[in-house]
Amino acid sequence: MKAVRFARRVLNLSRMASTDGIGSLRRAARRATRRARARAVLSAVMRLLPIPLAYGVAALTLVKLLRLAPHAQRPLCLVGLVPLLAFGWGVARAWFRKRPSWSGSLALDEFHSLHDRVTTALAFGAVPEAERSPLMQAAIEDGIALSGSLDPARAVPIRVPRESALVGLLVVGLLGLSVLEVRTYHRSEAPPAFEPMLMTADDLELFRDVAKELQAKNDDPNALAAVHRFNQLIEDIAQHRLDRHEVFQRMGELERDLKENVDLDQDARDEGLKGLARELEKSGLTKPAAAALDEKRLADAEKALRELAEKLKRKTDRPSAAELDKLRQALQKASRSNEERLRSIEERRRELFEEQKSLLKKKAEKADAGVPPDAKIADNERRLEHLDRERRGAERSQQQMSELDKQLAQAARDLMRDAGESARDLEQGAQDINRMAKQESSEAQKRELLRKLQEMRELMRQQGKGGKDQLQRLMKFGERARGQSGGDQGKGSGQGEGQGQNGGKPGALRLGRGSGGVEIPIGVAKTESTGSGSGKPGDQPGGDSQANGQHWGTGHDPNLSGNASDLKGNTHDVTAAGADTGQGEASSQIIYGAADRGFVGRGYKNVFTEYHTVAEQALSQDEIPSGYRFYVRRYFQLIRPRD
Amino acid sequence: MAEADQAREEVSEFQKQVGALREEIGRVIVGNRDAIDGVLSCMLASSHALLEGVPGLGKTMLVRTLAGVLGLEFSRIQFTPDLMPADIIGTVVLDEGANGAKNLEFRRGPIFANIVLADEVNRATPKTQSALLEAMQEHRVTVGRTTHVIEEPYFVLATQNPLEMEGTYPLPEAQLDRFFYKLEVPFPTRDELHAIIDRTTTEQHAEVRRIASREQILRMQALVRKVPVARHVQDYAIRVLQATHPNAEEAPELVKRFVRTGGSPRGVQAMLLGAKIRALFDGRFAAAIDDVKATALPALRHRVLLSFEGEAEGIASDRIISEILKKLPASKE
Repeated sequence: MKAVRFARRVLNLSRMASTDGIGSLRRAARRATRRARARAVLSAVMRLLPIPLAYGVAALTLVKLLRLAPHAQRPLCLVGLVPLLAFGWGVARAWFRKRPSWSGSLALDEFHSLHDRVTTALAFGAVPEAERSPLMQAAIEDGIALSGSLDPARAVPIRVPRESALVGLLVVGLLGLSVLEVRTYHRSEAPPAFEPMLMTADDLELFRDVAKELQAKNDDPNALAAVHRFNQLIEDIAQHRLDRHEVFQRMGELERDLKENVDLDQDARDEGLKGLARELEKSGLTKPAAAALDEKRLADAEKALRELAEKLKRKTDRPSAAELDKLRQALQKASRSNEERLRSIEERRRELFEEQKSLLKKKAEKADAGVPPDAKIADNERRLEHLDRERRGAERSQQQMSELDKQLAQAARDLMRDAGESARDLEQGAQDINRMAKQESSEAQKRELLRKLQEMRELMRQQGKGGKDQLQRLMKFGERARGQSGGDQGKGSGQGEGQGQNGGKPGALRLGRGSGGVEIPIGVAKTESTGSGSGKPGDQPGGDSQANGQHWGTGHDPNLSGNASDLKGNTHDVTAAGADTGQGEASSQIIYGAADRGFVGRGYKNVFTEYHTVAEQALSQDEIPSGYRFYVRRYFQLIRPRD
Repeated sequence: MAEADQAREEVSEFQKQVGALREEIGRVIVGNRDAIDGVLSCMLASSHALLEGVPGLGKTMLVRTLAGVLGLEFSRIQFTPDLMPADIIGTVVLDEGANGAKNLEFRRGPIFANIVLADEVNRATPKTQSALLEAMQEHRVTVGRTTHVIEEPYFVLATQNPLEMEGTYPLPEAQLDRFFYKLEVPFPTRDELHAIIDRTTTEQHAEVRRIASREQILRMQALVRKVPVARHVQDYAIRVLQATHPNAEEAPELVKRFVRTGGSPRGVQAMLLGAKIRALFDGRFAAAIDDVKATALPALRHRVLLSFEGEAEGIASDRIISEILKKLPASKE
């Protein structure tokens, strides 16, 4: 078949055939039929293609939006076969649909307005020649005569179907979706606004006072540094430089440092003193000192050593040679006790380290056979850590005791030559113990600071729970505690030299104190004044005065007549005070008064001190949960007397 | 080849003859080209036509002119309710001869003519109508025991007035089916009216000439029957006819809703014969689909019977046939 077609093409038989009458009509008709079929298929494609494309767009949208995993996409793909099959079936149906044999020729007739001449000619051409009538033959010839003018391409144009716009749109959409990356935008949270840690002025003052007090008591540089840091922290809070997180962080750092130093120092010193006590106990002469050291009564130990030194200095009633020898040996051993202890620890540690090293080596070399259990290694590690801590303690103890050890060793050496010399060495040892006692006092202050830090942390924690309302309540409370109840504004106004009025909520009746004036209380009771007014003007400016009332008046009354007082006269300052009869207000009256006047005044201070002492004793002696302790202490902090 | 040439000549002659007839008729009848062609088609198909139109549109004039042009015997019967069959067929009378012998003689009625105009056929009783329709179908009349053959060509043109329905006897469907075409005579246009007035209200009277002889008409009728019809045209005509039936596959929605009964096989015969005649009118050798389309309306409009719903909705059968032609593709895929 192919060969025949090839021959026809080479010999140009097809062109020749086109001129052979009815054949050319048939070819034109077939071509028109093919074009009609192609047009139908194209139309079917464009009509049906939107179905799988639309499905594809929908499925892809789902995949992109829901970020479906490949296994989750499989059902979509399977369902997608349905529109694909529908498309394929529709196109195949359009291609294979049976069409009447005259469809192509009819299209030609229609296009060229030939009144079916071509179709009729073809139809009659199919009739055997013998059966053709003359009119049939004439019709055939009529049709053939038209063959040259037939144009199947124009008769059956293949136009782009209208649906192609939709198809194009869907294809573009599909491509767009396939390259589209759906990004999920996470809204990054804005950095939190800086919210300074707030503390009431009252509390700030409290902690400032604490810092001031600790600073005054201490001369240890370490303790002073800690107090300075604490003070700085309070000031930073007061200046609103720190937020809550920073405050807690700094408190934590300070607390950690304080705790570590305090614990280490105390432990090291206790260990050192115990070692000394053990050795000194061996001599009858140093037994009192040993007992005091063992019980950490450093003052007694110092006293006992000074007494021993006096005894050694005395010409008479001196200890016997045997006693002195025992004393010398005890002093010698005592001086070396810390060193011995450190050496022992070092030796144990070295042995343990070697053992650990060996175990680890074995474990590395033989992973399977003869492997020492991991428990052993872990136990050794724990012991090593313990020894390390011990070693650090011993070193610290040695550092702290080094002076005392030196003095005791010198005393032992001198005792062999001259008891007097030894006595001086013991006195110096006693001084060293005194130094250690002072150091212990400093550590007590550190502990106190630590406690205050813990209180402050708890206070802030509580305050954080209560929020701003609680802070405002505390601020109001602080004002009332100072005797500045709402609405009491100072009315101070300079009305003349030495006549400043009492501002704020005054206590007892008092005269104002002018510059250079004297304070003359009128009351004769033990507590002359229970108010806070001390003759100073109020904090707020006077309501109807031009002066703000913050300072003493310095001007002159322009309405004054006569001469000013002669202050250069022979006057002398006198302070007049009533006799203290010991009969003042009852405690209950003072407490009731405090609710109205604020926590000010000497009477209130006395009552507070009395009650506070009892409370502190109860706190230290009774079994009280730490949580309750805070509230008790906080309560007394809040009602503490204000200056 | 010679036969083909001869056929070509015959067709050409036919076309010329028809052209001459048209021209001559056109001298008397103004406009109404479709009606003239329809009447000619009916005559060439050896069949009959039913003309419907309001009075005064020239129906009678058309038939009279046609008869004059063709040189054929013409008779006109005005149908009335009291018209009896014998009035149109003829009757047997007692006739006394010259020798005094008395014989029963059949006197032919007006139906025995080449061209018969049955004016207002729906005014006669069904009995009389039946007598006419039998003659139309059989081309013969039986009176007593004697059958009288009507001379060919025989062509009946019946008219009816669509407006005056009171006191009329509408033709039954079976009788309507015997008419080849039902032609509607439209009202003339303004120009046509001008022409009509000019021709009928002056002294000038157009005289028609005899253009064709009886033999020529018979030859033309014979040629019509020879025109071949290709399969696809016949197929289309059949599909059109089938589509007039409400239960047919290709029937449009309008047919399904408003048609009670579709056309009979006479309908497709009329369509194809009409198509052949139309092809000859155009000088073509075979009928085409366009010819079928053109003849569908006159051939089917009186054969498609509307349902009660269709009647109530005022649906015209022409609309239904036009819908079929519009919806039905030339070739069924």
